[in-house]
Amino acid sequence: MQKINIKISREFSPTPGPRYIHEGKFSGELFRQQVLFPKVSNALETETPFEVDLDGTAGYGTSFLEESFGGLIRIHKLSYDRIIELMTLKSDEEDYLIDDVNEYLKDAYEESKK
Amino acid sequence: MKKLFTSAEFKKQNQRHARRSWLRNQRFNDYLTAKNKSLLGISEQGREYKRKFQDPYKDYKKVYAPEVLSFIENPEGVVEFISELKTLYDDKKKVFVVLKDVNIIAYDAIVVLLSIMVKFKANRIKFNGDFPTNESARDVLIESKFIKYLFQQFKKEERYYLGQKSSIHTHAWKDVDSELGYELIKNASKTVWGDERRCQGVQRTLIELMLNTNNHADDSKKGEKHWWLSVHHDKTNHKVSFAFIDFGVGVFSSLNNKRKGSKFFGALDKLKEKIQYGNNAELLQLIMDGTLHRTATGKPYHGKGLPGINKARERNQISNLNIITNNVHANLDSNEFRIIPNSFSGTFVYWELNQQNLNCHAEN
Repeated sequence: MQKINIKISREFSPTPGPRYIHEGKFSGELFRQQVLFPKVSNALETETPFEVDLDGTAGYGTSFLEESFGGLIRIHKLSYDRIIELMTLKSDEEDYLIDDVNEYLKDAYEESKK
Repeated sequence: MKKLFTSAEFKKQNQRHARRSWLRNQRFNDYLTAKNKSLLGISEQGREYKRKFQDPYKDYKKVYAPEVLSFIENPEGVVEFISELKTLYDDKKKVFVVLKDVNIIAYDAIVVLLSIMVKFKANRIKFNGDFPTNESARDVLIESKFIKYLFQQFKKEERYYLGQKSSIHTHAWKDVDSELGYELIKNASKTVWGDERRCQGVQRTLIELMLNTNNHADDSKKGEKHWWLSVHHDKTNHKVSFAFIDFGVGVFSSLNNKRKGSKFFGALDKLKEKIQYGNNAELLQLIMDGTLHRTATGKPYHGKGLPGINKARERNQISNLNIITNNVHANLDSNEFRIIPNSFSGTFVYWELNQQNLNCHAEN
């Protein structure tokens, strides 16, 4: 099955910005609404594996990543288990981002259970 | 005689008018006497010089800049200098900054001088100053375009760009501007490595700081305060320095004022229950190593906020990180956290990018 690829620097912006739209351009909120949620929900519906490529940008603020990935569970109520099952993260330039994103997803999931 | 002039009411009014007029004349005579006395023994040329160069600012409040104008080398002096200017700014008093005795102006102080000057001018409060007699200090001021802007009027604006074509350029805004960060890093990397590179640690530092100002600098409303950023390119030593400042409430005041609903509400009380810390210097150490975050949220720390900047330093993405906020000065490289006598209302962060720092080539 063809994997769905999401390269942030190409499909959204090489300069990801803050958390919310009102805080500045290229926010995590905008990325989630315009790119990540449509692609991820499609992947979950069709049971297609997907890869999010974090490389090639100028760098990330932590809030951008938290809002983008944590928001999938917090706002869009997507299934944590299904995301973890189907998602691969690529971050050769900043390998620590993979752990961070996984933790953001886990935190959002645990919060959603409360 | 008109009946009006003989009435008691008129007489009372006339006497009050005469008394006030006499007092006014008396004050003017005193002023003239004092002025004439001050000119006694001064030649005609001397009087002309005084009239042209000293007298124009006689009703300005004089504020003396410290001899070492560097936030990192002399935080005590600079905080006192800022605090004096802030009082005058709040009182809308005209200010004349005396810089003639300044021997050293570090690049980190430029952002302080420029931001204060623009704040005064944008609020239509007269602001002027003289120049250092020390040549190298004067050169730094000229390079930063401070002297040029001293004679320029500013409007209240959301955004400022100062000294764009100079080796020291300054930016200010209220929102997070990741594109600006990208551009600054591209230019910085040309100075450091000779070609365009990406430095994710610098970008993270910029975004976290801009976001901190946007979210926390003003307790009452988000996005109210400006952040200011000066960048200096040292082409000889292949080094670029970044100095960031906001005149918000500062880290500790912001933490103390957290409201219900914030993840940091009551965080200091929780921290005190678990860890004994003596003062704000020790508290900043706990913030920077992520302890406060872990205690407040009960979760592992994932590099958010100020500690995220320290992580970038630990990963060798930035160097020589210094933070001054409220009454603490922290030099993270030497792990020195110390209390300063005067409190600075705001947050100042300085760091450098050099050839040893991690980076990626520009092409994606």
